[in-house]
Amino acid sequence: MSATISLQNLRKTFGDGQSGHLAVDDVSLEIAAGQFVSLLGSSGCGKTTTLRIVAGLESPTSGRVLFDGADITHLPASHRDMRMMFQDLALFPHMSVEENVAFGLRLKRMRGKLSADEIRRRVATYLDIVRLGEMRKRMPHQLSGGQRQRVALARALATEPPVVLFDEPLGALDASLRRSTQAELKRIHRELGKTFIYVTHDQDEALSMSDMVAVMSGGRLIQYDTPEGIYERPRTRFVAQFIGAKNLISARVEKVTGSEVLLRLADGTHLGAHAEESLVPGQEVTAVFRADRALMQVNGYTDASLVSGIHVQSMFLGNRMEHIVRLVDGSEVTIHDAQARPLPGDGGPLQFALRPQHVQILTK
Amino acid sequence: MTVQADILTENAPDMRRIERRRALFWLLPPILWFVGFMLVPYAITLFYSFGRMDYVQFVAGFSLDNYVKVLTVQPYAGLILRSAKIGLLTAFWSTLLAYPVAIAMAFYLSSECAKHILYILVILPWWASYLVKAYAWKTILGTHGLLNEGLIWLGVIDEPLTVFLYNDFSIILTLTYIFTPFAVLSIYAQLERLPLSLIEAARDLGATGWETFIKVIWPISIPGVLAGGVITFSLGFGDFIAPALLGGADSIMISSVVISLLGVANDRPLAAAIGVAIILMAMALLTVSQYLEKRTQVRL
Repeated sequence: MSATISLQNLRKTFGDGQSGHLAVDDVSLEIAAGQFVSLLGSSGCGKTTTLRIVAGLESPTSGRVLFDGADITHLPASHRDMRMMFQDLALFPHMSVEENVAFGLRLKRMRGKLSADEIRRRVATYLDIVRLGEMRKRMPHQLSGGQRQRVALARALATEPPVVLFDEPLGALDASLRRSTQAELKRIHRELGKTFIYVTHDQDEALSMSDMVAVMSGGRLIQYDTPEGIYERPRTRFVAQFIGAKNLISARVEKVTGSEVLLRLADGTHLGAHAEESLVPGQEVTAVFRADRALMQVNGYTDASLVSGIHVQSMFLGNRMEHIVRLVDGSEVTIHDAQARPLPGDGGPLQFALRPQHVQILTK
Repeated sequence: MTVQADILTENAPDMRRIERRRALFWLLPPILWFVGFMLVPYAITLFYSFGRMDYVQFVAGFSLDNYVKVLTVQPYAGLILRSAKIGLLTAFWSTLLAYPVAIAMAFYLSSECAKHILYILVILPWWASYLVKAYAWKTILGTHGLLNEGLIWLGVIDEPLTVFLYNDFSIILTLTYIFTPFAVLSIYAQLERLPLSLIEAARDLGATGWETFIKVIWPISIPGVLAGGVITFSLGFGDFIAPALLGGADSIMISSVVISLLGVANDRPLAAAIGVAIILMAMALLTVSQYLEKRTQVRL
């Protein structure tokens, strides 16, 4: 069981009048049933406020929230068919693991729908799903950080809501535990087929778990795309930098043929690129490419353009060699050589090739 | 190499000696305070409680006569129970009044400024003397007091009523008024520890406002309620000003008896025995309430 969530022109202002702070600025988003969608951005970008509006813990200044097409903008949180996993987990400290998970099942809203036996069975099922069956009698303070996360997850899932919301729940975990919990979440998402909306500031987390990623900044939705799309075709300089793209080259548009664009670099050479938006010749743009898309073997491609520069230094990173190349305009780019071949020495000229589909143009 | 040379001299600093001196420096004041203001007075009281009076002369000894008197001779045991009843009622009403105020301060005042103002308003009455406040209630509750005049003006009654003053009602009302701030502060201190996300989580899981209160807020607030209850009970139990000013002829409390035993009757041993009995009761109460607080205290 899952549901679609649709956000329409959401705005949220905290405080009032002139001094008010616009936390969410005209966010519209379609989340298909059963999808795992991440809201990605740095702190203060409005992602948590957006999630809290979806949960009903915050009401928007304007805009609508639709649940399977029904307007739930002003429905109280307790009446929404969705559960949230809180950033601080919000486990009830005076209840055991079992009682925490059973909390939502024992409320008045559920009365008559579930017998005591069914509640017990349901709690056992979800404690098994998060692999905490042994711990059911423990109190929250007797658990490790990772176990507490799993109790919070089981509690959110136990009432079987079609939509589950996550407010950076893995923030407090160390890197390796984080990795395994991410894998666990993805497995649970696949098994249960619910709609997951996940807030995070960690681009790796967003890209690795999600079906769709919504990048936010300054309260606005900047780009909504698949992880591959966000990674391969960032639309703005902000998105490119946020996901860790370092290779930004200034260029001027020379010729436009459909989505094929010919750029002219500072040294007068040409670079074939791909554009989503319409561009006009003469326009100043930034081209971005990924380090692992640079081809060290420059011959043998009819469509690739050659980029020339000076080799600054190389670093051996085990599975690859990383070269830093200074271009004529002084900017430095990083390229990877998967075959980890050493270069003859520092300071010499270096050429690499780029295919147009791997060069993305940013206008903003 | 000057450092190593130092070690060879007689005055080289010794970490253990420094630690000992530091511990003494910080422990001496509390030890002096405890001995001077607690241990010695308790010992004196205990010493007197085992002695007896020979006319006006105190005779030291070791007899349990005074304690037997406290338990068997009226009005002492009865008055201790009566005072406990007044204390309990004071604790009940203070806590009941304090709870919503503490809730409002903890959860419903989002601005720090409003919280601060309410906090000051709660403790402000403490800037005025207890006696002034007790007298104020006397003028409010009296025959020609604010309450009677107001009721007459409203047409509810024709003649001033005397039921408001000089009885247990006026004592409990005054004690409750005076001691409620203690209950507010101890309940608030407990509720403040409760993260707002717990309330949001309860709502998110489908709980109504009432269910959130019963299942989350109330259980977590119990230690604060117990602490506030014990404080207001103790203060109400031992009070002698309110019964003296606002109580009737039959509404004396145990503290008043102790005072008259020390003064007019000059029976210091009996007064001391009552004192010791009350101290033992208080210790028992504190032990129980501390046990309960520990049992109900949550680890967040």
